[in-house]
Amino acid sequence: MTAFLDSIGYGQWILHALVVLPLLGVVPVLLGPEASAKRTALLVTSLELILSLGLWWALDPGRGTLQLVSNTPWIPGWGISYRVGIDGISLVMVLLTTLLMPISVLGSWRYITRQERGFYALMLALLTGLVGVFIALDLFVFYIFFEIMLIPMYFIIGIWGGPNRLYAAIKFFIYTMAGSLLMLVAIVVLVWRVQAVTGYLSFSYDHLLTNAGAVGPLAPWLFAAFAVAFAIKVPIFPFHTWLPDAHVEAPTAGSVLLAAVMLKIGTYGFLRFAVPFFPQVALSPTVSRIVVVLAVIGIVYGALVAMVQPDIKKLVAYSSVSHLGFVMLGIWGGTVQSVQGSLMIMISHGISTGALFLLIGMIYERRHTREIADYGGIARVVPVFSLIFTVVVLSSIGLPGLNGFVGEFLVLLGSFSAYPLATVIATTGVIFAAAYLLWALQRMIYNRLDKPENERLSDLNGRELALMTPLLIGIVWLGLYPEPVLRRMEPATRRYLQLTQPGAAAPVAAAGPTIEVRP
Amino acid sequence: MNRIDLASPVGVAIALLPEILLTGWALIVLLVVSWRHRTAQDSRLAGWLSLVGLLFSGAALAALWVGGASPDGLPQMVALDPFRYGAAAIALLAAAGTVLISLGYLEREGLIAPEYYPLVLLATAGMMFLAGAEDLIVLFLGLEVMSVAVYVLAGFDRTDPFSSEAALKYFLIGAFASGFLLYGIALVYGAAGTTNLSIIGAQLSGRPIPMMAALGLGLLLIGMGFKISAVPFHMWAPDVYDGSPTPVSGLMATGVKAAAFAALVRVLMEAFPSAVGLWQPVVAALAIASMTVGNLTALAQRSLKRMLAYSSIAHAGYMLVAVWAGTHAGAGAVLLYLLAYGLTTLAAFGLLTALGRGGERDVTYDDIAGLAGARPAIALGLAVCMLSLLGFPGTLGFIGKWYILSAVVAEGQMILPVLLVLTSVLSAGYYLPVIMSMYMRPSPGADRHAAVGLSPTAAGAIAASVVAVVLLGLWPSGLLEVAGASARTLTQTALPLAGP
Repeated sequence: MTAFLDSIGYGQWILHALVVLPLLGVVPVLLGPEASAKRTALLVTSLELILSLGLWWALDPGRGTLQLVSNTPWIPGWGISYRVGIDGISLVMVLLTTLLMPISVLGSWRYITRQERGFYALMLALLTGLVGVFIALDLFVFYIFFEIMLIPMYFIIGIWGGPNRLYAAIKFFIYTMAGSLLMLVAIVVLVWRVQAVTGYLSFSYDHLLTNAGAVGPLAPWLFAAFAVAFAIKVPIFPFHTWLPDAHVEAPTAGSVLLAAVMLKIGTYGFLRFAVPFFPQVALSPTVSRIVVVLAVIGIVYGALVAMVQPDIKKLVAYSSVSHLGFVMLGIWGGTVQSVQGSLMIMISHGISTGALFLLIGMIYERRHTREIADYGGIARVVPVFSLIFTVVVLSSIGLPGLNGFVGEFLVLLGSFSAYPLATVIATTGVIFAAAYLLWALQRMIYNRLDKPENERLSDLNGRELALMTPLLIGIVWLGLYPEPVLRRMEPATRRYLQLTQPGAAAPVAAAGPTIEVRP
Repeated sequence: MNRIDLASPVGVAIALLPEILLTGWALIVLLVVSWRHRTAQDSRLAGWLSLVGLLFSGAALAALWVGGASPDGLPQMVALDPFRYGAAAIALLAAAGTVLISLGYLEREGLIAPEYYPLVLLATAGMMFLAGAEDLIVLFLGLEVMSVAVYVLAGFDRTDPFSSEAALKYFLIGAFASGFLLYGIALVYGAAGTTNLSIIGAQLSGRPIPMMAALGLGLLLIGMGFKISAVPFHMWAPDVYDGSPTPVSGLMATGVKAAAFAALVRVLMEAFPSAVGLWQPVVAALAIASMTVGNLTALAQRSLKRMLAYSSIAHAGYMLVAVWAGTHAGAGAVLLYLLAYGLTTLAAFGLLTALGRGGERDVTYDDIAGLAGARPAIALGLAVCMLSLLGFPGTLGFIGKWYILSAVVAEGQMILPVLLVLTSVLSAGYYLPVIMSMYMRPSPGADRHAAVGLSPTAAGAIAASVVAVVLLGLWPSGLLEVAGASARTLTQTALPLAGP
């Protein structure tokens, strides 16, 4: 496979192609007839997925460096280049994005009934933004992608969302923008300080990473600015209040992408930028304590609030707050296991929560309600749906053998040595998760079939089965045999740990520069 | 480098060729319309003639710019540097946009009085004098030429009491501001013995600033503060923008503001570089007040025109942040931001003319509900304008804000940039609802937007602006270089003259 990819020069063009292809796809979607918009979008996103799969082999799993790096000058006067590249962490995030995108398009097949061209064009634009944010290696470019994807999501929520969509859309936009504008100032300050010390004006990631020490006493402020931007995105308690609104009001595809991919941009931002730039601040005892406490509050609070939600979509939304708390705990756990665990949760939460939102969307299309109390005993009417729903719920709970377990186990294992008390409290989050999800499952799927409206529900059709299948495969595969994924992320994880706490992660430590530019 | 001797009449004529051409052409157009001023066709003729004049003037400007003209010997009344050309080009662009938008607008509103166009030309000539003034007297003359023409334009809709109110208000406040400015000039002259900016700078350097000069500087700042509508000198702006015919509001928000900012930057950087400790706190205070008050009051508006008026106060605040830096980067940022803001605002006001009737004062957020379905092109244009005003990446507005941030951060200042971005977040609270209303809310009636439309010329001008806003936002490299290079020439004419 590697030889084949090399023969077509895959590494040279793939990252550009992944960014440009969806944008090109916008044209036929907008110009074509309304009815074929979704087919075109499905075609483009599937093509994107197939193209992106090659990255799995193109990336050398033995090295933790950023690879396939390419650099195109953009605004040379300001030291800005279009600079992209990936490592193991970006790889899995890009693949998660490209996997979920065609599935989301398929999941919107029947849900989106008006202004289809606009919807699918925005989905494709969003895909560009999401891929771009995970591969950007220039802070200006990263910022642009980080901001620009707000627009499609803003419209997706605001036009095709639920009854309270206007409020949810503007709240989502303003929250994210407030954080990111502070990050913008921090980026400018960082670049200017680094230039003052090195005499070289550049927004490139590796240059700033090497010289971030130049900021001196400003480091806490800059870290705070980055951290707030990413904390809103994650979201960490108490910045999470936009999330339930946005997730609940968004159409299915919007919820899936918000939960599965966009939240991960926050945690990815911590791993890629905020912590490696300012490790002394980020991992100082005070900041660590604050982050870990907020993460644990998020875990427990999210779970408790989820438990009392009458609306199943809101329940899943709050469960995201809880799950992402684990990710933050793992990042600050500071061991190979805990960081790997965080990454695993990022992937498996993407798959499981994406699947949950899709399933909720499917049942909503049939019954036009998301109240848990309106269902009950539907296992008898829609057995296939119920089976899949049960499997996904179990994976979200973290049942051993399914994907959710691996990440949470690794995070708890890896964080225990550093934060024993916090880890013990976080463990209750797993128990609460079992409580709220199983309780909801019981009330919706099992119990007695006592609502006459539910007796005529139709079971999943071929399209719906087809779009759930890859997710189910992912759930089982990552649960039983996560090793290939872990192996690809491990060098990058060790690199990250070596950057942030020199001496902690021995094995890959001696290996040269962070970025390799292909000849 | 072509050196021009500014002491000789020929030299001055060459140096002022853009202004002279424009003024002369304005008089010719005036002559033409004194015979032909009755029908809509006459009005159109005057409009097209004016465009030709703007083109001539622009060609002369380009010749000076490309020819790299520079003054021979001592600095004189008028500057010969790319900063002037840049600011003058923005004024010309604003005027051309205004004329193109007005062509259909005046006819629709029944304002058949072709004197409108010569007045626009004269206002533009005033702006160019103002932007190129190397001497406080020229500055004052330019300001007055510009202002008098704009007073008339503000009250151009004689049948509309709001238009008359706007004109009167603008005139009274303008006269008041001129008083401050003139008194400031007098005091500065008293302290420095000259009205030439560079010589003032040389006279005041190397010694403590005399009280009289400091007072003069303060009065100058107040006078200029009125023209750029910085808080607390902004009270007139909303009513005047609101009451004036919409294309005139666009001209005021873009051309007038651009010229006044260019003059402000030049005065502060050439005449008072040594008093930087005096004016920086004042400018910072004005900037903070403008950003906060402008954005907060804009949040409370229901009418789009008033919202744009208040937001223009906020944008003056952003530009004052760049002025604060007092560096070449700051001046470059002002220039670039003026272009970004000018293109965007002109397009926004132009699109506003499509939405309403009778001055567009009463077009509210509710009135544009569902516009995207009925008029997708107009909605898209307005959406891009709003995002650019918001400073969203991918638009020129973002590049402008980014430049300002860089210029100020390079001076080691952190509070102003943070305030700038935080108040920008506030602005999302009134720019986004425009998009929201157009795209996300249902239209109140099936043919609610049937009358919405633009004349072909206005549509062309607006489309060109919107496309430029996006393209320059994506590929700003060349523009940044031009702005930076223009700003760097700003103080090169400041010769080290006889010291104290």
